[in-house]
Amino acid sequence: MVEIVAQAVINGLLIGGIYALVSIGVTLIFGVVKIVNFAQGEFVMIGMYITFFLATQFGLDPLVSLFVCMPVLFVLGVLIQHFLIRRVLGLNDLPQIFLTFALSLLIVNIALMLLTANYRTVHTAYSDEAFHLGGLYVPVAKLIAFGVAMLLSALLWAFLRTTDLGKAMRAASQNREVAQLMGINPNRVFAVALGIALALAGAAGSLLMPFYPAYPMVGQVFVLMAFVAVVLGTLGNVVGALIASLLMGIAESLGIQFVGADSGLIVVFLLLLVTLAVRPSGLAGGHTR
Amino acid sequence: MKRSKDLASAAWQRRRDFLRKAAGSAVAAGALGPYVLRGWAADTVNIGGLYPSTGSMAQIGQACVVAAKLAVEMVNNAGGIKSLGGAKLNLIISDVQSDTTVTRTETDRLISGNKLSAIHGCYASALTLIASEVCERAKVPIITGSSTDQLNKGRAYTFTPFARASQFAKAQLQMAKLVGDKPKVAVIFENTAFGTATSNGLKELAPGEGVEIVMFEPYSAGFTDAGPLINKVKSSGANALFSVSYLNDLILIVRTVKQVGLNIAINGGSGGFVIPDFYKNVGKAADGLLGVAHWNHDVNDAAQKVNADYKKRTGEFIFEYAGGLVAQTYMLVDALERAGSADPQKVRDALAKLDVSSGYAAMAPGGKVKFGPDGKNVYGHPVGVQWQNGDLVSVFPNEDARGKLLKI
Repeated sequence: MVEIVAQAVINGLLIGGIYALVSIGVTLIFGVVKIVNFAQGEFVMIGMYITFFLATQFGLDPLVSLFVCMPVLFVLGVLIQHFLIRRVLGLNDLPQIFLTFALSLLIVNIALMLLTANYRTVHTAYSDEAFHLGGLYVPVAKLIAFGVAMLLSALLWAFLRTTDLGKAMRAASQNREVAQLMGINPNRVFAVALGIALALAGAAGSLLMPFYPAYPMVGQVFVLMAFVAVVLGTLGNVVGALIASLLMGIAESLGIQFVGADSGLIVVFLLLLVTLAVRPSGLAGGHTR
Repeated sequence: MKRSKDLASAAWQRRRDFLRKAAGSAVAAGALGPYVLRGWAADTVNIGGLYPSTGSMAQIGQACVVAAKLAVEMVNNAGGIKSLGGAKLNLIISDVQSDTTVTRTETDRLISGNKLSAIHGCYASALTLIASEVCERAKVPIITGSSTDQLNKGRAYTFTPFARASQFAKAQLQMAKLVGDKPKVAVIFENTAFGTATSNGLKELAPGEGVEIVMFEPYSAGFTDAGPLINKVKSSGANALFSVSYLNDLILIVRTVKQVGLNIAINGGSGGFVIPDFYKNVGKAADGLLGVAHWNHDVNDAAQKVNADYKKRTGEFIFEYAGGLVAQTYMLVDALERAGSADPQKVRDALAKLDVSSGYAAMAPGGKVKFGPDGKNVYGHPVGVQWQNGDLVSVFPNEDARGKLLKI
């Protein structure tokens, strides 16, 4: 029994790390730029395909392509902020929602056209390997993904805490007008926020590739969990989103084990509802940082 | 959507031009003598094809469209429908987007916007059930490879030439005994019409086949991680695993079983398991895995020929559903030939009397097709298949076996 619970927690924690990378991106964009990015999952998909092509064309290990994926998506994020999102920022919510939603549809359909709906996988030496400890097992690829996800989250946290640019981002997220009065250039801050968020999505793509097949609609699988995590962990709160993602991974896994394999998400949403009833603004309370 | 409408109206325009010219020359021909007239009555026969070429089932839907086009080309190159003066088949494809609501409106639109003789589709049982309801109301025959037994209840225009979900179950259970004589089976299935129908069949028939089911678990399709589910299979103590899943989930399930190091015989059933992509994604780990299919490319010589043509176009062998729909196209051709009319009611009546045992229309396990009053092929049964070096080989039952069973 203890073993079964322990295994369920391990499984949940590991996949929670991936949810975290996606949800941190969404919450960062929401916190700083104040828009909901519906296309976040599609950037995970782009990251997966970049990793896939680097692996099949140049034999690059998915972990190495992390160093290609993240910069490429960072630049893409800056460009999207500069040419698209910047233009709808002063307006009301609707154009912003439609913009990112349209972006999502556009990317999925371009991918369907160019890449077809086929599933693509990358086999690495560690893809099907696992560490066995007594009756427990820890899949190597997922452990690596989890480790890197936590490392990236820690780096982001340190960046937001200690660097001037990071502090400027937090300031802009707390009060845009006052931040501007203090001499912070919002466009620059927003561009960096978009860049970082997309780079994290790209990282999630690279880390997923050794154990999850890529296909044009793959982003939607992960973005649903990301949105729940963002709300659960208080909108705009990076640490909240991280903790919420891990909790959701564990809740889903335990739900599958003890309630039923079609009830994993029910447990996750129950967690969300209870949290919202007790703490209406999410786990982290009213703090957005 | 718009494009197909444009195409349809263009075809109509062409037909009008053609008719005008034909009428004009017929008058002229009348003066010259009757012998020129033969064959001029040829018009096209419209066949509808409903497949999910976008959305979550896009990959399989698109492959179905390739096969549907191949079948129509084969028919037309061989001279079309002879009893209709060599009329060519005109395939009108409609995308049902892997979505039940869209399926309803697309089927409606396809029927009301075109003069159809028959329809085939839609791959997923959940979609086919909807399309079949619309066809029944409009009195247009639909022929389908979808397996849910619900398609055979209270319907007069729905024809299912291949094995039913309940028959798959029996074959799967019998195959469990190929691997061991005391099978303890874990059944996991996606909670959809296809998954539930197939797994309920398994559960009902297991005692009669001497198979013990130690775990019976629905899961929500499209999960992010198969770990928790396989964890549960492991704790059930099963020595055989039946997974009723589409491709994406099945890839994760098989890879996770290997990761856990679980020694268990896997029967992937049909669906996503019997398409070439499965082997491409799972690789060598797939060798020896068992499955069941309503069609396989080695069932007879005609199927092998279709397979060779399809391989030339796509580079892959023709999978169950796509191969089956080539056979279905030829069943429609057989009905059209005997009906001597493109009228959907007459095509329906001719389909109901279909009885073939040779040629492309008889490409099915057992090699015979004849519909009973419920629209079911009375000879229909599934074939047991096994992955061997990237190819899918028929291994069960004995009379359909085309290769030796690979021991795992």
